Amino acid sequence: MAEYFGTAVEDIFNTMEERFIPEGTHGVDATIGYNISGEGGGNWKVTLKEGTLKVERLDAEVTGCAVTLNAEAETFVGVTLGKIDAGEAFSGGKIRVDGDITILVNVLPKAFRQFTPVIWARDILATVRERFRPEKAEGVNMKIGYDLSGEGGGQWTVVVKDQTCDLKEVLDDDCTVVMRMEAPVFVDLNQGKLDGATAFTSGKVKIDGDIGAAGQTASLFEKYVAEGAAEEKGEELISLKCVPSINQRYATGPAVGRWFDGLKEKKFYASKCPNCERTLVPPREICAECRVRCNEFVEVGPEGTVTLIDVVYYASPDPLTGKIRETPYTALFMVLDGASRDESFAHDLNPKDIDRIKPGMKVRPVWAEKRTGSYKDLLYFEIAD
Amino acid sequence: MAKKNRNVGVIGIGQTEYSSHKEHQNQAEMVNEAVRYALEDANITLDDIDCVVHGNMELFEMVHQPDMWHALGSGAYGKDQLRITTGGTTGASLVCAADNLVASGMYDVVMAIGLEKLQEGHTTGGITNMADPLWFRHLQTGALTATTATMMMEEFGEDRAKRAAMKYRILMDKHACLNPRAHRRFGLEYDQLEDLMNTSPKLVGELRLIHMCSQSDGACVMIFASEEKAKAMCKNPVWIRDHITVHREETFNNFGLEMPEMTHHYAGRKLFERNGITDPVEYFDVFEMYDPSAWWGLDWLREFLQLKDDEHLKLLEDGEFDLDGKLPVNPSGGVTASNPIGATAMLRPAEAAMQIRGDAGPQQIKKEVKHALASGFGGTLWSVLIMLEKDLDWQEV
Repeated sequence: MAEYFGTAVEDIFNTMEERFIPEGTHGVDATIGYNISGEGGGNWKVTLKEGTLKVERLDAEVTGCAVTLNAEAETFVGVTLGKIDAGEAFSGGKIRVDGDITILVNVLPKAFRQFTPVIWARDILATVRERFRPEKAEGVNMKIGYDLSGEGGGQWTVVVKDQTCDLKEVLDDDCTVVMRMEAPVFVDLNQGKLDGATAFTSGKVKIDGDIGAAGQTASLFEKYVAEGAAEEKGEELISLKCVPSINQRYATGPAVGRWFDGLKEKKFYASKCPNCERTLVPPREICAECRVRCNEFVEVGPEGTVTLIDVVYYASPDPLTGKIRETPYTALFMVLDGASRDESFAHDLNPKDIDRIKPGMKVRPVWAEKRTGSYKDLLYFEIAD
Repeated sequence: MAKKNRNVGVIGIGQTEYSSHKEHQNQAEMVNEAVRYALEDANITLDDIDCVVHGNMELFEMVHQPDMWHALGSGAYGKDQLRITTGGTTGASLVCAADNLVASGMYDVVMAIGLEKLQEGHTTGGITNMADPLWFRHLQTGALTATTATMMMEEFGEDRAKRAAMKYRILMDKHACLNPRAHRRFGLEYDQLEDLMNTSPKLVGELRLIHMCSQSDGACVMIFASEEKAKAMCKNPVWIRDHITVHREETFNNFGLEMPEMTHHYAGRKLFERNGITDPVEYFDVFEMYDPSAWWGLDWLREFLQLKDDEHLKLLEDGEFDLDGKLPVNPSGGVTASNPIGATAMLRPAEAAMQIRGDAGPQQIKKEVKHALASGFGGTLWSVLIMLEKDLDWQEV
């Protein structure tokens, strides 16, 4: 199919339906003929009547319309895209209009949104080198793979290395991350028609490999702007970002104070309810169920029996340091030896045991060498055998 | 039942659309948008409001005394105003408080406002602050955990549990797609079930990205009036029959070798008992539930509705939680679709009330809705349940 300026004549007529603005044809009753000659040309008849649209492709020259436009395919596409000046083409005889020209001038702009050429994934990827921002890529060394299916799909690898960027039309085996999606999804994402988080969450985009790297890619490139597309000017939005840091002091009270004191000696202390006899770990002053004060402390653990295992893949920040945690890591729920059966205690698992841990296993605490009576005294638990 | 001095009706409801960000308006403007809708809905003016109850979570936006900042939008200046901030349950607590304030006789007309602009803060950062700062905080990952998923897979088998959780998730999305105010409307289809089940990225264990709730911006406002005023001002008030709030300890200590009764179960048991309801699935026509994830939502249906064994899975598998099922769940799309946290638990009774009025919009349940249940959730598995009625004809127990 012949294309001019990357667009075929057909594309313009095939998109009329979606570009049609019904409310823009109030009081209109008109037929418009198009006789487009040359390679990729053809004959179309467009009927606009009170909020309705009919687009027909005819086999022969269109006649009998209120207005008929005759032009070479290249001229027609060029004028539609704004690549060729319409006034000049008309004055120079490259466009010939028979009938009521005011329909073309007054009715068409209200009846249709501007035609924008179809953008292919290939067009977008072809511009990655020029959109690359070396200043953002200091120390970044990665291969981003794109596996795009469907019409206009293909496989590409974007290589970012030593603050340079290259594009290969093949999917390398050793990509840091591969993003798989249908090609039109990729195009919509790059045009801001689809939100990345939504596409990812709903399964439209699949990410293999380092998800963090996938998130980083956006900052490495300037936004894609289609050739000839005018950037929409909106009101300026000022967004200020700041990270407030607030120092805090917090009194433990006697029960949790006892807990921290015990950690120094590698001991876990629980408070015990004098009424229901359940243990509370870490200790609390009151049994919330019996509403009585718990003045007795008993030693529990140090080993425990695992009840539930949470393997965490989501890289959340450690609230005390703000640093993103290494994933995956494992949080354990356990019942410490001597503690009530329904009273669970939670802590981290030694990363070396992540593949072996099972419910029902015995685990033991691993202590910091120097203990000061803080949460840092207990490093994690590990499988006891 | 709980002693009520006089009956209380919902006479106005206003909601913004829920979305991932609302940079076009500040917090007070967002509040104002919902306030205007609610006043319009009730066909009254600010002059008719005796008291304003305001709620969000200031740790999320880090604006201290938001009730003061928002007075520009809420119209609270010159009126009595109370602020309520109970974490995830905030929205439900606002409704309970407004109901209590009117029932007591202290005020005739009370406006409750729930809101959140999560985009302006850090949700997980805020949530982690609920843990003991000296001990448990370094272990916190906000509200993300797969404990329920693990237990359900253990109880019902991995495949059935995973399918059920994803079916629940897709059902919620189908409801959300009908609700023009819902934030996330993915357009998920049941034929994507297996694909999503296996490929949606894992957050924690089998809790996957698609299962988890959104982070949304938005505000919800409800106006409550005494029976006398409600009947005079409104042609179809919705009556708050009863509500219950149940807390447990502020630690995640309930995953031992034996499980204590969950607050969800306790809340349902007590509330239904004192209202003489023996079969909640039969009695209620809709349940708007605070479901922070698909796993929790599905599991909590069993707890709240006092179901046994796999009854909740069967109801789901048989389509009984669909809009045309026995007990439609979350016609709004629920919390996995929209989650402006301080308002989230108010969206539940708000949607329930609209369903009773019959003007919920495209997600309206086709058969008549007379009895509705709404829940709130927060903290370390705390629960609120609210019962709403179309008619003032229930029997005192």
